[in-house]
Amino acid sequence: MLTYIARRLLIIVPMAIAISFLIYLALDLSPGDAVSRMLSPERTTDPARLEELRHALGLDQPLLVRYWTWLTGVVRGNFGFTLTGGVPIGQLLADRLPATLELSGTALILSSIVGSILGAISALKRYTITDNVLTIVGMVGVSVPEFFFGLVAIVVFALNLHWFPVGGRLLPSYTTYWDHIPNLILRYARAAMLDALSREFIKTARSKGLPEWRVNLLHGFRVALTPVIVLIGFRLPILIGGSVIIEQVFQWPGLGNLFVTAVRNKDLPVVMTIALFSVVLVLVVSLLIDVLTAIIDPRVRLGG
Amino acid sequence: MALSDIVSRRSRLDRQFDQLKRLEEAGQLKVRGGSRVVRKFFNNRLALLGLIIFTLILLAAIFAPLLTGWDPTRVNLKAISQAPSAEHWFGTDKTGRDVFARILYGGRISILVGLGSALISAAIGVIIGCYCGYVGGRLDTLAMRVSEAIMAFPEIILVLMLVTIVGQSLFNLMAIFIVGGWCGIYRLVRAQMLSIREEEYVQALRSFGLSRGLIAFKHMLPNALGPVMVNITLSTAAFILQEAGLSFLGLGVPLSMPTWGNILNAAQDLHVLQNNWWLWLPVGLFISLFVLSVNFIGDGLRDATDPTQQG
Repeated sequence: MLTYIARRLLIIVPMAIAISFLIYLALDLSPGDAVSRMLSPERTTDPARLEELRHALGLDQPLLVRYWTWLTGVVRGNFGFTLTGGVPIGQLLADRLPATLELSGTALILSSIVGSILGAISALKRYTITDNVLTIVGMVGVSVPEFFFGLVAIVVFALNLHWFPVGGRLLPSYTTYWDHIPNLILRYARAAMLDALSREFIKTARSKGLPEWRVNLLHGFRVALTPVIVLIGFRLPILIGGSVIIEQVFQWPGLGNLFVTAVRNKDLPVVMTIALFSVVLVLVVSLLIDVLTAIIDPRVRLGG
Repeated sequence: MALSDIVSRRSRLDRQFDQLKRLEEAGQLKVRGGSRVVRKFFNNRLALLGLIIFTLILLAAIFAPLLTGWDPTRVNLKAISQAPSAEHWFGTDKTGRDVFARILYGGRISILVGLGSALISAAIGVIIGCYCGYVGGRLDTLAMRVSEAIMAFPEIILVLMLVTIVGQSLFNLMAIFIVGGWCGIYRLVRAQMLSIREEEYVQALRSFGLSRGLIAFKHMLPNALGPVMVNITLSTAAFILQEAGLSFLGLGVPLSMPTWGNILNAAQDLHVLQNNWWLWLPVGLFISLFVLSVNFIGDGLRDATDPTQQG
């Protein structure tokens, strides 16, 4: 087990370093450096003073040294400052992250539960009207753009029926939640359940004379859940990526909203920090998923 | 469960088999010609429906000048925000441009971005994946690392990050989609090639002394193309949805060019959302319908090219 984790780390850590270097490169090559960002050019025109400040900040060092300084800073949570306003980026991220986690986290958990149950029902009733309806609903759900779904929800539930206020917190949660269900989970859960039901041990359970619900629930559904959990793990990055557009539709004060504003203002430090943050999240999550699957399924860690 | 219950539980497939058996016993079963994949695809009602909708919308976009006399970019300040009428089928927007014409002409750009990026990234992915999967070596390791790095980014974050760096334009957007899109197909083709490489017919070809390129591209690639076609439909759908989302935010194709997402951009205004439904509802339905048709086609292709599925 430990060798397996070590082997995975040997792939993931160099990858994270390489990506962070590329991100630093993009930051470094963008016009203007920290000095010109900190001081407005009208106030300090003396080039000698500027050079002095650059030296004091270590900006005249070679690229790799500067990268190292930046990286150690990032690891300690010092992400630098925004271009517009000069706010510390770390502070900004900490302010925005809870809102995003609240929105996407609840949506992900609730939709995973409902999605896998609906998927299992669809598989149990395969080739019936229930199955066909669920499959088509899933397809439609995947095909409708999430923000259009959100717009329709605003018009129907907030503006016409007045069930929820436009600026409230409930409507965005429900929208994201319903938008995530058909998205993959319903379809994957159905495939996983079908696969589980076709295995030999289902026949064994049935021939033992177990009641049908026991066979389906305890023998079929439990086995079908493993790939679904892996899939949910792989969808964890949508905690940050998936809500970018939805947050904009509902003016939700989360990370996605911050990201879009930063892209609009061409605020490269903020954009790159969020990108780096999401990549690290993806890599850490994929490591956790790998370890989890290795624990559940010994074939993975032995097969290499 | 009683035995009779199991026997009486007949599915559609059972009925189809029964019918085939009856035909065979009556000596009426004819061997149908044509490709098995094509036949299976056309037997799938949803896939056929998808193909029809897809073709209709595609043709409507291509032959837009024949369907509408309005210019999608001409501003007409005498007809601002008009409701749908016989003259303007889907009404007019805030600057008096005809919405129906904008949807048709916008479809050209949106479909170009979606289908074009998907096809180009598939071509790149297939070529690299086919070569790397069969030959392997240093290029394979490099391509693998690069694709892993690209796939570590959540899609929308990668796209918006690159938009910030290179700026907004139609060409840039397609290039960004291709940069993010080739990895998936590369890894798919590579995995397929790795498994096909072990087949006996490949060993036989190699012992005949055929060149590596000929074996990889002519004899192995066709057997790996089924999943690739499914993947192309998936990425077409994804790119069209992404273009719409980005343009809706005002960060995709420049606003001067009509695209489905750019038309929806007007719906960011709550007033428009409540009072001018024709500015956002028809185009949203168009996007949904088109993506749905692409997904139906993809699903049909998946079933048709899967040899383990009957039909």
